[in-house]
Amino acid sequence: MIQKLLDIDRRIIFVLVFVAVAVPLLAGMVMPITPTKEVQAAYDEIEKRAAGDVVLVSFSYGASTVPEMQPMARAILRHAFRRELKIVAICLWPEATGLAQEVLEDMAAEFELQYGVDYTFMGYKPGNFSVILNMGQDFHSAFPQDNWGAKADELELTRPLRSLKDFDLVFDLAAGDSIEFWWIPYGQEKFGFPFAAGCTAVMAPDLYPFLDSGQLNGLLGGLAGAAEYETLVNHPGKASKGMSAQSFAHLIIVAFVIIGNTAYFVSRRTRPEQRS
Amino acid sequence: MTRDTYVFLAVLLLFVVTNIGLVASGILAADWTGLGVITGAGMTLALYSFLYKDNPLFKFAEHVFVGVAAAYIFGQYWYPTIYGELIAEWTDLEVGETANWWLLAPTALGFLMLTRFSLRFAWLSRYSFAFFVGLGAGLTIPRYISSFILAQIEPTLQPLSLSWDGFNLLVILVGVIGVLVYFFFSVEHTGVAGRVSKVGIWFLMVSFGASFGYTVMARISLLIGRVTFLFEDWLHLM
Amino acid sequence: MLFFNRTLPLIIAFAFGMLGIVIYYVPHSGAQSVEREMALWVRIVFAFSYLLGLYSLLNLHWQRIRQHAAGWGYSLVAIASFSLMMLFVIYNDGKGPFAAQAEAGGYKWLFDNVHVACASTMFSILAFFIASAAYRTFRARTPEAALLLVAAVIVMLGRVPIGREISEFFPAATDWLLNVPNLAAKRGILLGVSLGAIATSLRIIFGIERSYLGGGDE
Repeated sequence: MIQKLLDIDRRIIFVLVFVAVAVPLLAGMVMPITPTKEVQAAYDEIEKRAAGDVVLVSFSYGASTVPEMQPMARAILRHAFRRELKIVAICLWPEATGLAQEVLEDMAAEFELQYGVDYTFMGYKPGNFSVILNMGQDFHSAFPQDNWGAKADELELTRPLRSLKDFDLVFDLAAGDSIEFWWIPYGQEKFGFPFAAGCTAVMAPDLYPFLDSGQLNGLLGGLAGAAEYETLVNHPGKASKGMSAQSFAHLIIVAFVIIGNTAYFVSRRTRPEQRS
Repeated sequence: MTRDTYVFLAVLLLFVVTNIGLVASGILAADWTGLGVITGAGMTLALYSFLYKDNPLFKFAEHVFVGVAAAYIFGQYWYPTIYGELIAEWTDLEVGETANWWLLAPTALGFLMLTRFSLRFAWLSRYSFAFFVGLGAGLTIPRYISSFILAQIEPTLQPLSLSWDGFNLLVILVGVIGVLVYFFFSVEHTGVAGRVSKVGIWFLMVSFGASFGYTVMARISLLIGRVTFLFEDWLHLM
Repeated sequence: MLFFNRTLPLIIAFAFGMLGIVIYYVPHSGAQSVEREMALWVRIVFAFSYLLGLYSLLNLHWQRIRQHAAGWGYSLVAIASFSLMMLFVIYNDGKGPFAAQAEAGGYKWLFDNVHVACASTMFSILAFFIASAAYRTFRARTPEAALLLVAAVIVMLGRVPIGREISEFFPAATDWLLNVPNLAAKRGILLGVSLGAIATSLRIIFGIERSYLGGGDE
């Protein structure tokens, strides 16, 4: 019996995981979300900026992390535009261009923003850390044109920007190692700008040393971080909607761990010859 | 026909019938937007079919994805950098403007990199790699010392106090030392070094556990995203 | 030939490596201009590296088709989908290849409905396998493994709303685990990685590490 439990067809496990995700979504279950201090700190970074301050938002993620990162981008930009901050958006991942444009267009429609005045979209530049190094010395050298070919020195918002020093806040939305291995050593270290970030859940635990050292001022980790930010800006979206499914899926995986271990130890006790 | 072929045909038929039903009932528009949603759903289900077992449908979707992704990225490299910054530098000069001759150097290095394709001239690509790797190494050293070593040691070596924060500081200090000793292979891990590295392992295990927990979270989030797409955008069940 | 093959690349690596270090410490505007120019150069050389990758990918599939290797039909699919997307890149929503890439038309359609759908689905498949692995192989066989398991369970529950519903212990414990033992371990790893990266960089600059030159004639 125990052995049967241990040898269960993995497709049964797959179905249970699917059910744990699907049922809360179909039932429209909503769970209360409490922001963590890291997310609150990121929120505060935007909150304490004055209207008209310029924020650089770096889209450093691709299509594979859309469900985690797009809700985060929406929540942060919604907050920034609500606070009347100016946004300069750049992409450090090639796939980010289409994703960033989608969010910016939605925000432009929602807040009736004027392109070139309230926000600009500079598109993608290859080079990872070297783009940041380039921007640090000369923003116009790194991004001579926006995503549609308009010259950076002809757009009202980007014309006066000379280097990374001219930004009041930098916000990196990352699915790779751009926060810790690009922005911190090649940008923040030299120019000392306030720096906050949002990242996929996989990366989040790696960034706690930077939160502690003050090199990173706030952090949103994964869909949960996005949901917490949506709660703070009082605009529940896809992330908040997904939290009930996330909860039940975690619960079922914890149950798998407990059942798997219990069955394993029981089987070891009943069959001592198999002890390793 | 095998059992798997029947399963494959049944799923395909169900997918077609579902989409006909969705379009006929007006839930999905009979235009490019509607077709896009159907394509997205089809690709999603084709890839999920791997959960049953590896199959031609999965491989087809996988290869379509690879081709589309490679060309999409070309679109992002071509105009903003290769054309916009290199070719247009010479072809789109306005009156009174002069080209940046310095750009010829990285352009040449870029072309030399492409000699990697040639058996005869592959050695020329070494100049590009030497530049890229050499400069990268030089840029790394001072920045890593400053951002990672000095900036991380400073908060670790704070004055301790008889408080909860002081206790946490002590735990962090012990953990950092333990992990560093664990990774220091020049000393045999016996005696004091062995005990300290054992403490390092405990810290690493807690850290890996936290990373595992977060990885589960990340993958489930992606699954939620796709299931939401299927239920909301395709089937309109939500 | 040895000079051009090996010595000159090592001299280039040394010269640019030293330049990279020196310009960091010299606050003079001249050094800053050099840093800007070098960053621009790296960006451009990096862009060419994409072409290397693209060639490798297309060549791999082309060879499979040519040799009628197992699964060559799928390689044909990859080349066909690449060609289709390239048509949209060149057409560029009617503006042609010498204008900024328009995120519109077929380019955008394929990106939204094929690229995004496939990429996120691929990674989400791991959710099922991670659950299966949690059931089958995630065992508390040793005290260290038990520590890992307990930490994982606490974090899994502590970072989602249901954890707080069960007990306030889970979010509080998660917060402590992440900010104290996890932070210490990650900091230790970071220090180790940094020291390793610095040592490797020095070896590259001084020509001890030469693997980046690849094989071939020496």
